[in-house]
Amino acid sequence: MSDQDLKTSVKGQILSTSDLPTLPTVLDEVTKLVDDPNSSTEQVAKVISQDQVLSAKVLKMVNSPIYGFPGRITTIQHALVLLGLNVIRGIIISTSVFDMIQKAMSGLWEHSLGCALASGAIAKAAGFDDPEEFTVAGLLHDLGKVVTAVQLPELNEAVRMTVKEKNVCYYDAERMILGFGHDRINSWLARHWHLPPNVREAMTYHHHPDRAQFYQQTAAVVHVGDFLVRLFEYGNGGDDQISYFKPAAMKILKLKMKDLEPVMDELSDQFMEISDLTF
Amino acid sequence: MDNNKNHGLLGVKKNRAILVSPDEEFKVLLSSIWPEDVLEFTFYSEAKGAVEDLFNNPPDLLVVDNRLQDVSASDLARLVKSENVYRQLPVIVCMDEADFDNPWDWNKIEVDDFILRPFIKSVVRDRVNLTLCRALRALDANPLSKLPGNTSIIQRIQTLIDRQQDFALAYCDLDYFKSFNDKYGFSRGDEVLMLSARIIVNTVKSFAGEQTFVGHVGGDDFVVITSPEIIEEVCKRIIFSFDSIVPNFYDMEDRKRKSIVSTDRQGNIQTFPLMAISIAVVFNINGKLKHFGEVSAIAMGLKKKAKENPKSSYVLDRRTN
Repeated sequence: MSDQDLKTSVKGQILSTSDLPTLPTVLDEVTKLVDDPNSSTEQVAKVISQDQVLSAKVLKMVNSPIYGFPGRITTIQHALVLLGLNVIRGIIISTSVFDMIQKAMSGLWEHSLGCALASGAIAKAAGFDDPEEFTVAGLLHDLGKVVTAVQLPELNEAVRMTVKEKNVCYYDAERMILGFGHDRINSWLARHWHLPPNVREAMTYHHHPDRAQFYQQTAAVVHVGDFLVRLFEYGNGGDDQISYFKPAAMKILKLKMKDLEPVMDELSDQFMEISDLTF
Repeated sequence: MDNNKNHGLLGVKKNRAILVSPDEEFKVLLSSIWPEDVLEFTFYSEAKGAVEDLFNNPPDLLVVDNRLQDVSASDLARLVKSENVYRQLPVIVCMDEADFDNPWDWNKIEVDDFILRPFIKSVVRDRVNLTLCRALRALDANPLSKLPGNTSIIQRIQTLIDRQQDFALAYCDLDYFKSFNDKYGFSRGDEVLMLSARIIVNTVKSFAGEQTFVGHVGGDDFVVITSPEIIEEVCKRIIFSFDSIVPNFYDMEDRKRKSIVSTDRQGNIQTFPLMAISIAVVFNINGKLKHFGEVSAIAMGLKKKAKENPKSSYVLDRRTN
């Protein structure tokens, strides 16, 4: 167990990742599709892509050394083809349901889904192939916050209070209370789960895309995506602030600010559309 | 009693086992038999949680109690045994006498053994030991993909021929696998073989209610046996998945260029396209074929035709239509 844990600097408490919760609506929908012999992997992939925890579990499993191609599979659709619906059934059995956590971190799911959409749109605007790979990275960029909320509810509460009282952003509050931010938890999770290097770097460096080693573009896409989704005030990443925007990200993407205008038009339509599907 | 000498697994390397059971006494019993450096148990009182551990870090043995509440022991066994990746993992179920009121269909619940309550320590010990040892013996499975090998493939074909049952056999192999293997090395070549095996297995399995078989002849050659009605759709879906996933297995620059460039022994620069999959389909309809040898001979002839196309393609044996 010990190699699966990350120790926080406060109270020596330990994070472990054994049982992350997911959304009841998404879980119900996936269960229904998986049990229907007429449903397609495309349909299942579409629903799973709405939940960051389920998506992470699926990517973690397909990239585990057991399957023999660790770190190669970047999209949910491909993962489902390779895992097969049987394994998806297994993942569903072992997934618990988002309930109390939703109160603790309300809005994080919407924020993650919004960042996924934004990352896909930005990747398209920057002319990258396979925008789906960027969508996954956007979806998972705040997974570390879910882990803290589930594993260390008391410290998570302290982070929330710090955000409120000191009027700092969530990322800074995490570093004050835990000793590190969710980006570090992301990095640790991504390595343990053998996630593909582009997803891993985006999860790790979405606050500092210029520090990414090999996949600055993916990290930069998610950085801008995070910024845009906060600008739209869609969902909530844990504070009311608009995240710090690094101009370096636009340089990496070879984009000008005005290139983001059509992206924002597209996003505002999409956010309207998905806001119908939330509870 | 000295456990260290009395466990019966002398000379066996360290093994890991998972017990999924709500029965606390049983956990105590099992931990008392083997020292941890011979057989270490991880305990789960319900299937939830155990399943994820099982899939991510398969143990050498799984013991499942039929008293489980959240998932039945047979469902859990089926979940494990129906996946080629986990199929070799030996499974023992624990039962109460009442569980035997009706006979079990061991063809459906492919477990390796059972133990009966009330547990007798020495019997539990030897049942577990026997199951572990049996699992260590060789199987006719490809060590890489864990799919059935040639003995099983030939047997399957001949049985269907003897029964005069209609079937379609698809012989799949990869184009430009060798140049991929040469450039990137055999461990990345193995990744592609694992990928191909997973795509083929899951595609065939996605047709609900069909009797299907997938075997691994060796190297980059695979065999699919299924009903003639669905084979063309199977080929199309395998090709679609293969073509969309395989670029992920190349380095970024080759993926962008859609080819690999290498230098042969004479110093000539050669360019190879990305890998593709060729499928040759042989039909046996109305008892036309008599011997498995005919099947492979026809398939080899068709394979050449499929390979003429550098892209992924399938060729159906029209002679039997």
